[in-house]
Amino acid sequence: MNLRRRPALAASTLLAAALLALTACSSSGGSSAKKGGPVTLTWWHNATTDPGKSAWQRIADAYHSAHPKVSFKVQPIQNEQFTTKVPVALQGDNPPDVYQQWGGGALATQVESGKLMDLTSATQGWIGQLGPGAKGWQAGGKQYGVPYDYHIVGFWYRKDLFQQAGITGAPATIDDLKADVAKLKAAHIAPVAIGSKDRWPDAFWWEYFVLRECPQATVTKSLAAKSLDDACFTKAGEDLKDFLATKPFQNGFLGTPAQQGAGSSAGLVANGKAAMELQGDWEMAVMPALATDKNFADKLGWFPFPSVPGGGGDQQAGLGGGDGFSCTTKATDACPDFLKYVASASVQRQLVQAKAATLPANPAANDAISDPTLKVVLAYLQKVGYNQLYFDQALPTSNGQALNEAVANFFAGQGSPKAVADSVKQGGS
Amino acid sequence: MTAAAPARPRRPLRPATLASYAVGVVLVVLTVVPLLYVVIGGFRTTAQINESPTALPHPWVWSNYRAIVTSSLFWRFVGNSALIAVVATTLAVTLGAMAAFALSRYAFKGREAVYLLFTVGLLFPLGVASLPLYLELRQLGWLENPFAVALPEAAFSLPLTIVILRPFMRAVPAELEDAAVVDGTSRLGFFVRILLPLSGPALATVAVLAFVTSWNTYLLPLLVFSDTQHFTLPLGVANFQTQYSQDTARILAFTALSMVPALAFFVFAERRIVGGLSGSVKG
Amino acid sequence: MVETTPLVLRKAVPTGPAVGTAPPPVTRPRRRPATRRRLELLLLLAPALTLFVGFVLAPIAVAVYYSVYRWNGFGPLDDVVGFANYRQALSDPVFQHAIEHNLVIALLSLVVQLPISIGVALLLNRRMHGRAVLRLVVFAPYVVSEAVTAVLWLLILQPGGFVDEVLRDVGLGHFVHLWLADSDLVLYTMFAVVTWKYIGFGIILLLAGLQGIPAELREAALLDGATGWQATRFVTIPLLGPTIRIWIFLSMIGSLQLFDIVWIMTSGGPANASTTMATYLVDRGFRRYEFGYGSAVAVILFAICFVFALLYQRFALRRDTDGALTRGLA
Repeated sequence: MNLRRRPALAASTLLAAALLALTACSSSGGSSAKKGGPVTLTWWHNATTDPGKSAWQRIADAYHSAHPKVSFKVQPIQNEQFTTKVPVALQGDNPPDVYQQWGGGALATQVESGKLMDLTSATQGWIGQLGPGAKGWQAGGKQYGVPYDYHIVGFWYRKDLFQQAGITGAPATIDDLKADVAKLKAAHIAPVAIGSKDRWPDAFWWEYFVLRECPQATVTKSLAAKSLDDACFTKAGEDLKDFLATKPFQNGFLGTPAQQGAGSSAGLVANGKAAMELQGDWEMAVMPALATDKNFADKLGWFPFPSVPGGGGDQQAGLGGGDGFSCTTKATDACPDFLKYVASASVQRQLVQAKAATLPANPAANDAISDPTLKVVLAYLQKVGYNQLYFDQALPTSNGQALNEAVANFFAGQGSPKAVADSVKQGGS
Repeated sequence: MTAAAPARPRRPLRPATLASYAVGVVLVVLTVVPLLYVVIGGFRTTAQINESPTALPHPWVWSNYRAIVTSSLFWRFVGNSALIAVVATTLAVTLGAMAAFALSRYAFKGREAVYLLFTVGLLFPLGVASLPLYLELRQLGWLENPFAVALPEAAFSLPLTIVILRPFMRAVPAELEDAAVVDGTSRLGFFVRILLPLSGPALATVAVLAFVTSWNTYLLPLLVFSDTQHFTLPLGVANFQTQYSQDTARILAFTALSMVPALAFFVFAERRIVGGLSGSVKG
Repeated sequence: MVETTPLVLRKAVPTGPAVGTAPPPVTRPRRRPATRRRLELLLLLAPALTLFVGFVLAPIAVAVYYSVYRWNGFGPLDDVVGFANYRQALSDPVFQHAIEHNLVIALLSLVVQLPISIGVALLLNRRMHGRAVLRLVVFAPYVVSEAVTAVLWLLILQPGGFVDEVLRDVGLGHFVHLWLADSDLVLYTMFAVVTWKYIGFGIILLLAGLQGIPAELREAALLDGATGWQATRFVTIPLLGPTIRIWIFLSMIGSLQLFDIVWIMTSGGPANASTTMATYLVDRGFRRYEFGYGSAVAVILFAICFVFALLYQRFALRRDTDGALTRGLA
């Protein structure tokens, strides 16, 4: 009787359910490009500003002239939005054909979507040119991406400000660094800039302390197990805590972004408002857009992360990674061929000259590096003990993000050194 | 005192009147100054802004606004937002009016339950529903599709629409309806030909609210659209801010221009909103 | 009235001269079959209900479904964990703090925004020059999108930015704080921005309610010897009751909904000092690729909203709708 009396309600609900059931079965299959037919590749990269933006556009245009059947739809996406957009896209039916890929455990997670193209056979003949670093873009022994440049994280500093504070040389040990911080503060200069709002810059500090305290084998094993239980990880946290106690950062650092706007940590160094920043070599590509002083590059210098006396790790180890691209399965053969083009020596030289890449993946292009500071960085990268992939990339995304958040909270005074190490276990997968 | 016109008792309200004006001024300042900062900032260069954040443009720079107004991407954003907002508003108002009519002038068992169902929907913020909604849309294969945004927006506007329209429709006297029936109109005919025109102010109100809500929605389009070409204006603003982050002046210009459509629409419809709201709060 | 097969009966109802004899004028169509009415109801309600069920209620069902899995969005759904996600969320101090933050904002709205809004609405209700312009101006921030609001205030609140400069210029330099970077302050900064955006809407709502109160009532009280304040307190405000209750209802929505502004300005930081339930949901659910967990959080949110809605409807709004229920019904 009730149902009869409320046909409107019942019928409407049935309608809704039916509608959902019907449409749930449908899936809009993306049109697969026919082999040999004209193809448009949607390309996501993170160079939203020049010089990178124009450089990539030129490369796309050049490839298109050489291969008229392949056109590009280039979409620059801000770095911080990649972590949201990529998973969303990979779950949809229309992911980009080519997109920026930083390798490691994050790549492995994305491979689970089934949408990434296995490039092993397509790259077999030439990927060796890019050195052992290319292994960072493998998952389960198969190649899923190709790097176009490598990175290492170190200190970018203002020689003029160091001079002002009476600092003569780069700090060799962590105690030297603390002393330099004190001198800069005495000269009323913000010693260190950091983009804490974005979290990952904080992680660099913790991870470097880990590299100085933990032997390489321990680090590799623990990352693979997603469990940082060794005491050295806690010790690293304590080292960091000591350093943070010197209050080395700029005013309001917890709210400062890393690369966005003149008030970002990169902008602060570019404009001489802070003396140094622990950042990757990409700083050279980011800073020009933020600097009001066009000659800022002449005032910059670089030194590696100092050693920690008594630390059990490799005092020469570097933290870094690289940029690369991955193809999705709908991208046809054009994509791996395009990536080969990007990895070729001539294009690599173009990228370096245009300052879109700082340390090319193809060593044949190293001669294109002109900036003296970058030459210092390159020299260090070439002789470094080993270059550890940043942890949030090496770990699956969930664990990596949990770690970044724990470190960022640590910078804000929350949590213990042990808690930071344990945070990786929070991750789901 | 003449007996002709009843005079209002003169109230000794001087201090209170002054207070009103003072409060008015404070309100205007607090509200308008941030908006003005954005608009005027667009007329300066970033260097000027970094030098002295609070100064007026010197000289007045037109290139920021010109660059945006001539950029096809900006107008694309406006177009996308407009399409989605129009679809969402039309759906919300039409379906909402029909449902409000049923809920106000028909008696049936479970009516209050249905009404409660809709009003409870008022409290489910679109932002919260975003994750499962996204999963649902993905399942339906509707990502990158403007209807994937317009339909949920319409759905989420239904509760407020119905809550505002129902008292209005109820307030129309039953005699009017009876008279219409005597003249041979069906109930639905009464709805379309008499009730709807009478509910003008209320309809305008819900239309404006639904339009503004849709125009300003950020999270759902963020999840549904990856292709910049499909972006709506709020997405464009946030995206622009990160993309041109070093060019503060240009961001301010873009933000200022993004406010214009919404504000213009509001000025146009302002009177109706207040009129509509006062009818609904009465009953 | 006995119901037979609906459509056949409908066609058989005489509708006019076609039957041969002129039907008597009917004032109330008591003999009109309930089936036709039912059809009308169906036509009127079904579309709205379908849309509503499909896009507002269905997501809840979807969320409940995914919430019992551990799933990173890629690959098959195969890791059933039952209630583990719920337990994890409810015992996560970050989520607990997020709920706290939402409640703090809700409470502040009640305690700070409501009295100010009522006061301002009362003052603005007088006849004064430029009242129309004032209403326009006060409502404007509501119309501006949340994204624009967030971008705008993000720029203004930078250390050494516009707000700091203005404070220094008017001699209030010692008030300058790290509005967005100070964990103790950031939630209140968010509240201030939210107030800027929404207080106008509340004032207009209350103004509309005030205009519905006949002026004679207040005048009568004054004539009887009440002071202005007494008249306001005992006559105007009680009559404003229904409007205030709607204001509270909508304000709670806003407090629970808080996402866009916080996300763009601070992403919930620093150190989760400004996390809201919604930012937690997006951060954990999307950013960390934990869609099962995110769904569980969404379900918890729905539950909180639902309980509040039910309780509020029952206890606060019931009074206002009671009278309406008995007025002219069809």
